[in-house]
Amino acid sequence: MKRPVRTVLALVLTGFLGLGPAQALDLGSALKSILKEKIKPKDSQQTLDTPPGTQQQVQPAAEKPRDQLLKSLLAGSTSQADEVRIGQRIAGNLLGAVPLVRDDGLQRYVNRVGLWVALQGERPDLPWRFGVIDSEDINAFAAPGGYIFITKGLYRRLNNEAELAGVLAHEVGHVLRRHHLKLLQQSQAIAAVGSLLGSKFKSEDQLVQNIIGNGAEVVARGLDKDAEYEADRIGVVLTARAGYDAYALPAVLADIGHVAQGDKRVSLLFKTHPHPEERLGRLAEAVDSHLDDVPAGQSVAGRFYRLR
Amino acid sequence: MTRMLHLLCLGLLTLPVWAGPGTLIKDEDLKSSPSVAAARVAALAKGSNVEILARQGGWTQIRAGGHTGWVRILSVRANTSTGSAADIAALASRRDSRVVAVAGVRGLNEEELKMARFDAQELQSMERYRATAADATGFARAAGLSQRRVPYLPAPAPAGSDPNAGPNAWGGVQ
Repeated sequence: MKRPVRTVLALVLTGFLGLGPAQALDLGSALKSILKEKIKPKDSQQTLDTPPGTQQQVQPAAEKPRDQLLKSLLAGSTSQADEVRIGQRIAGNLLGAVPLVRDDGLQRYVNRVGLWVALQGERPDLPWRFGVIDSEDINAFAAPGGYIFITKGLYRRLNNEAELAGVLAHEVGHVLRRHHLKLLQQSQAIAAVGSLLGSKFKSEDQLVQNIIGNGAEVVARGLDKDAEYEADRIGVVLTARAGYDAYALPAVLADIGHVAQGDKRVSLLFKTHPHPEERLGRLAEAVDSHLDDVPAGQSVAGRFYRLR
Repeated sequence: MTRMLHLLCLGLLTLPVWAGPGTLIKDEDLKSSPSVAAARVAALAKGSNVEILARQGGWTQIRAGGHTGWVRILSVRANTSTGSAADIAALASRRDSRVVAVAGVRGLNEEELKMARFDAQELQSMERYRATAADATGFARAAGLSQRRVPYLPAPAPAGSDPNAGPNAWGGVQ
């Protein structure tokens, strides 16, 4: 996964910065020294590009110089504040394409269920936020820092609260293991080099946008299959830990597997994920006898919030 | 016994989702009751057609080849439909007319996502709905949900690397 990026980066470095092949091999330190040389300290607090109304949440990261963000990303040691800031940008962009469903009761409900599930993981202190977005597409998304989305199209197919918990738990799993952040860390090096070749970023927001690519396209970028299988395993476990029926996520996967391949509502999901049947097969292997001693969980169908 | 009854009630509640024809996705021992310790009724091969009858926790009751018994729920795939024609029929038969109306709608696509512009107002709306840990915990308690200790599941070994793991896996409860 990392290799192609490195190769491309090596070519870019060799081509544009006149580095010899030997230097290009040691990319980490080469890049670090370039960063030290080329990135000038930030002259002023840049807040012009901060979208109105979000200053409060981005305050901690805004105090850091942009090159620090870049360096931490390159080193693969992004702080939680930076992770949240990246996720916030992605979430804001996604919402620009698909707004929230206008139903306060629904949104509050999903946040309560989602947070309960997220609290079962090892990152309970992330600012977890959940939203149902107004699309008939059948899908769910996660962005770094704890932003989780489920489409109205997928929500409508759910039968009970445990199934909602299962879907959200899969997405929580991606955030817990920083799957999307790692994906960005692998590709942002190119953006970093781009920044050195003339077009300096005016602000961290610009830099973050550059790192995540165009708009919310990053959510349509597939993770590798193993990341999806891992999120499925975590999803089942978090659902079970929360007291729900551990087999709710598999039930949703089975349902999605029955949607026709050619149905446009699943084309993005099927493009970015292994087929549900493959995922269920992997889950069956992973679960095996491991959940035998876990008492049966609850479906919580009675209070499940139905779409209006 | 009380636990069994309790499990049975839960199983009955969720029965409709799982009932119907299905296929076995791995070789399985058909058990006389939903437990690893239960006696083997029959050995079933992967790909066997089965009738899904009931569910109890992590187990599902099936009928296959004249035998009735229990296998792990994830070993069975329900064949609600097999082709697109059946899916469309199922979709059309839904009472919710909106579902039918959207069947021809295109889904989210990459172009749309690429062109997306940051929407600070929507993001702020989302912020409004955030739950606190106390709120979420109270809401869970209200539904009778209680936390259980469940370790993370290890990634299964790549296929074919442990050909002898099968028989012993049934040997005992861990």
